[in-house]
Amino acid sequence: MSEKKSILEKISEGQVWKSIFRGGGVPTTRRQRMMVVLNSVFLHLHPVRLPKHAVKLKFTWCMGGLSFFLFLILTISGILLMFYYRPTIEYAYTDIIDLTEQVPFGIMREIHRWGAHAMVIAVWLHMFRVFMTGSYKPPREFNWSVGVILLVLTLLLSFTGYLLPWDQLAIWAIAVGSNMAGATPFLGSEGPGASLLAIGDVNFITKASDARFGLIGGRFLGEATLLRFYVLHCIGLPFIIMIFMAVHFWRIRKDGGISTPV
Amino acid sequence: MSEEVKTKIRIRPPAALGKVQEEISAPRRSIISWIAVGWLAFVAAAGGFFTMILRFFFPNVLFEPVQTFRAGFPDDYTIGEVDLRWKEKFGVWMVRNDDGIYALSTVCTHLGCTPNWQPSGQKFKCPCHGSGFRITGIHFEGPAPRPLERYKITLADNGEIIVDKTQKYQEEKGQWNDPEAFLKV
Amino acid sequence: MEGFKSLINYISNPTILFTAILVGFPFVFPPNDWFYNVNKKLKIDKLWTKKGLFVMVAVTIVFFVFGLGDSDFRSIVLKPDNVPISGLIILLIFFTWLSMSQAYENDKLMDEGKPVDEYYEAPNDKVLVWPDLVYVELISLVLFSAFMLIWSIGLPAPIEQPANPSESPNPAKAPWYFLGLQEMLVYYDPWYAGVVLPSLIIVGLMAIPYIDRDPNGSGFYSYKNRKLSASIYLFGWLVLWNVLIVIGTFLRGPNWGFFGPFEYWDSHRLEALTNVNLSELFYVKWLAMGLPSNILLREAPGLIIMFIILGVLPVLLAKTLLKKFYDELGYSRYAIFVSLMILGVLLPVKMYLRWFFNLKYVISMPEYFFNF
Repeated sequence: MSEKKSILEKISEGQVWKSIFRGGGVPTTRRQRMMVVLNSVFLHLHPVRLPKHAVKLKFTWCMGGLSFFLFLILTISGILLMFYYRPTIEYAYTDIIDLTEQVPFGIMREIHRWGAHAMVIAVWLHMFRVFMTGSYKPPREFNWSVGVILLVLTLLLSFTGYLLPWDQLAIWAIAVGSNMAGATPFLGSEGPGASLLAIGDVNFITKASDARFGLIGGRFLGEATLLRFYVLHCIGLPFIIMIFMAVHFWRIRKDGGISTPV
Repeated sequence: MSEEVKTKIRIRPPAALGKVQEEISAPRRSIISWIAVGWLAFVAAAGGFFTMILRFFFPNVLFEPVQTFRAGFPDDYTIGEVDLRWKEKFGVWMVRNDDGIYALSTVCTHLGCTPNWQPSGQKFKCPCHGSGFRITGIHFEGPAPRPLERYKITLADNGEIIVDKTQKYQEEKGQWNDPEAFLKV
Repeated sequence: MEGFKSLINYISNPTILFTAILVGFPFVFPPNDWFYNVNKKLKIDKLWTKKGLFVMVAVTIVFFVFGLGDSDFRSIVLKPDNVPISGLIILLIFFTWLSMSQAYENDKLMDEGKPVDEYYEAPNDKVLVWPDLVYVELISLVLFSAFMLIWSIGLPAPIEQPANPSESPNPAKAPWYFLGLQEMLVYYDPWYAGVVLPSLIIVGLMAIPYIDRDPNGSGFYSYKNRKLSASIYLFGWLVLWNVLIVIGTFLRGPNWGFFGPFEYWDSHRLEALTNVNLSELFYVKWLAMGLPSNILLREAPGLIIMFIILGVLPVLLAKTLLKKFYDELGYSRYAIFVSLMILGVLLPVKMYLRWFFNLKYVISMPEYFFNF
């Protein structure tokens, strides 16, 4: 019993450690290792045991996990950017410049932008992998549909963020995108069928009351548009995507974990 | 599909449910209508709330730039030329031909980009998707579905031109023949 | 060298590039037995061997390295926002190879009556999440974080001139992941290409598991027993989505004209193009009369054609070519499947009609903002 213990072992058997990580000690036995996963709020997203191929990169490409990891990177870097960025026409552009020029370690915007591109690609490739392994088949149909919604939300998040630097690249991409909303059938003032929704001479769908207006908050791109996109980008869409992500992860487990040959 | 496969993808009910009490006594008839009324009221209220939220996105007052401006005197414009001086500030091209002056909107009818006037080709060419418009505003190439819009153009008492962007005239609706869509000089 | 560049410029013209891809696609990703046998006979499946991957990646990289010597090519490819797309090309090649090589491997195993690579004997073959999976995750995260950091330090994010609502940049492009849709906006009206088509893509993707209900091939890479569904998906994903993104990014220049990868983006290049509607072709050119003033009469040819394509064709197909599907899927599933397929096929069809006949709209009712 006089065996010398390392510091790590001492800590891991102390009261503090044990109060945080139940069981304590370095997990060495099979039972302890299973308990680690079961007792952790984060790790218990996973089952405790997996088929062999589920840990092979060749099979999973790690793209689903990477998408989620990128979402976390983007959330953190996005929150940091919000400390400096003001969503008004007067300040938006210069604040973006200052983020590179005046802020120490001025690569937060780069991480956010390239991370967004990488997330779009990661989500696409995740979907590609899921298709090629036939993992959308029963009983995972519903989760595939949730995944499609997550894909759309990812694109919308990226799209709303595209306007915020308020440069030429930004407003013209949004000008084109928001004008498409104006062409929505029945709900856009320049869309087919809108004129059918008139009573006599009174048009209900006009430039000031159509889908495009609801999106950009005005008849032209301006202050209201920037604010709307900012709120959607920072609060609205992340809120929605987190709900769907929760459903997506939950359903992976409920549908039997990673898909396997039957 | 083999029998074995079917059993594998079957989803078991959670064990915690245990034995569910199957027998639930049927409600009495008179209550049903009250439940229906209750649900209807619930749906109506929920619909009302969603309408309110939707309406919330459409404010009653807009703070947007002035849409009417004075554009100088007719003699400021050369016959046969597209005048670019109001493009940046108001989004209007003033064009004078032999008969008079008209004010063209600089918004492409396809997706709202600003076309560029190309004197060499005598056309407005949109950089976004390649739509082309003749000097009159009539579309002839690319995806634009209809001609450029014209704005209301009138003369003030002192002879100055007044362009009113709140009033627009569309060719495909035959509105270009309207006297206020074209200023005879 | 100049000759090679102009050759590349020439075949980059979408009429040639896109046609080549369309013709070649079913041989590489065979949708049925006949193509599958040809694929085997011509040894196209050699693409999915290690040698195949090496050749594909090497050719792509050599092309890019060679191209970077050209100033026009360099100015497009090295634009900060375009860099991810060059990366995407390589990633797509690699991951398509990765899935296809495993699929063909598994097909072979199944032909021999052996279990596929992913097969495991529950529960003895299972591994523990801690430590097996957690380590894989940790290592991936560390490596990927390092990669993101290097990328962010090495390549500044783009920022252009401050926004100016009266001056569109030339060309004005949507974010790169929407360039496939922007390409479609050239051929279709905004209400369709910008609103209805994206909605259809979303609905179509969601509908996949409810239409392809064959439970075989779930949970492992395979191709042979799901040729048709895999081929359709790959066509939509690789050709209609990613090829169009690459075209939109690299080959669309000023005034949204086509430019070869080694061509100078001349914003004054004039392209005389006059597009005509079907109604004008029909009445003015073929019948040599004026356009009727009645809108419905004027658009009758287009309306009739669209009715035949969307109303009559599905019924005919259900009785003839697609009888098997109709019997298998039932009425409503068949209706959704065949409508999505027809609308999907109409995308390239309209592109060709525009390229060869300058056809603008089949139905053109600008009075009601309804053009198709």
